[in-house]
Amino acid sequence: MKKLLFLVLLSFGTLFAGGDEVSPAEKEYVSKDMGEMVTDFLTSTGAYAFFTAEEVTKEDHGEVITVSEFSQGWGRFIMILVAFLLFYLAIAKNFEPLLLLPIGFGGLLANIPIAEIAGPDGFLGILYDAGVSNGLFPILIFMGVGAMTDFGPLLSNPKTALLGGAAQFGIFATLIGAVALTDAGIFNFSLQDASAIGIIGGADGPTSIFIASNLAPDLLGAIAVASYSYMALVPIIQPPIMKALTTKEEREIQMSSLRPVSKLEKIMFPLTIIVLTLLVLPDATPLVGALMFGNFLKESGVVARLSDTLQNALINIITIFLGLAVGSKLAADKFLVPETLGILALGLIAFSIGTAAGVIMAKIMNRFSTHKINPLIGSAGVSAVPMAARVSNKVGMESKPGNMLLMHAMGPNVAGVIGSAVAAGVLLSIFK
Amino acid sequence: MEGSLVSEGLKFMTLGMGTVFIFLILMIIILNLQAYVINKFFPHTEIPHKRDDSTSHKDLDEEKRVVAAIVGAISSYRGSK
Repeated sequence: MKKLLFLVLLSFGTLFAGGDEVSPAEKEYVSKDMGEMVTDFLTSTGAYAFFTAEEVTKEDHGEVITVSEFSQGWGRFIMILVAFLLFYLAIAKNFEPLLLLPIGFGGLLANIPIAEIAGPDGFLGILYDAGVSNGLFPILIFMGVGAMTDFGPLLSNPKTALLGGAAQFGIFATLIGAVALTDAGIFNFSLQDASAIGIIGGADGPTSIFIASNLAPDLLGAIAVASYSYMALVPIIQPPIMKALTTKEEREIQMSSLRPVSKLEKIMFPLTIIVLTLLVLPDATPLVGALMFGNFLKESGVVARLSDTLQNALINIITIFLGLAVGSKLAADKFLVPETLGILALGLIAFSIGTAAGVIMAKIMNRFSTHKINPLIGSAGVSAVPMAARVSNKVGMESKPGNMLLMHAMGPNVAGVIGSAVAAGVLLSIFK
Repeated sequence: MEGSLVSEGLKFMTLGMGTVFIFLILMIIILNLQAYVINKFFPHTEIPHKRDDSTSHKDLDEEKRVVAAIVGAISSYRGSK
């Protein structure tokens, strides 16, 4: 009997939390007969909520939105299956498990009926408000990325940065593709939505989230999932494109070894880039600034403790928070819409165009330069560090054993991070 | 507005790719300049040189003496066997 009473009280708590706005102090226990208690409890179960879903209107960040019956009921169930699919991809297929697991679990929790974990008062909602909607978490991730990145290969052969620039073409080509679909009446993407979708082509998860939370918060869940899934798929998507665009001779080009870079050059690099960014594009300074701050701590060599925290503890903590908070946007009413399919398709196109543009740029540069570069490193211009560079290396080794391209590919790879941050800055400045 | 979205997008592309390339080209020029200046005025060997002037010579002599002592000790040990 005591146990039952406890359960009933508990169910009251969840009923109130999900329904009327009653502060905990006002909750009063009203005596009911046994039958009523049991029915009340049964209506508060998840199974009941799935079957008797109704259309509801709720307020989300000042906006009144209507959530359909399907999204409240079976939509949630499908989204939970989507979360399981993400778990499968992360664990069995090893697709970016560091992000897909937290995102998937966030999605699972967010789709639990009644508990409202992703609501403004649930812990996922709180995490989202704390760091995703205001762009804080992606910036913190960038600090860690900066502390982990060695810009040495770029410093030793700066002209490979052009490849990292060319790969950003995917972003803008996809942007046009997205608005073309709107013009054709297939989807209804605004220019802001299209920009956020295009950034997937930058192959940079944190930048995608940063831009999406700024320009198209409704699409954030789908964009983040697409972005990280394609980053994981780099080794599958890129090689066929790279091989199709290059001849065997081009793939066998051997590149001269990189000159050593002095410590002073590495220390000066972040400062130089900051000065350049503030002169050219202040809108990119949040991303570039955080990246260079992390890199400055690393290269200064005197704050090993801080640099170590950025590279490990901080980036891990933020990855957990960011993943869960992004997962909270995997709500049925936002994700189970035709737009999601559009985003997944456009993201893939963005990625492929970026890869192709990098390779083609390398071929153009070879026309005008005596120092030949292997076009395979062009594909590393998409900023998935260091995965894209590893792919360049692998394809290079396949065509000619012993042709090590890894360090050469790291140059365009890290330039790609800067390039996509600049592209993001341009898009932000347009919509200001 | 309808129908002009693609032309808007083309404007975005021109501005965006233009900025990205201008930024990276400026970066390449500045990095090359920086590398030239740094390697000319602060060459790689600068830091070891400084040490040579002050303490390293002594350290080196010290080290040589230690090595000599070790060699001596080993040979005398082997000789006594």
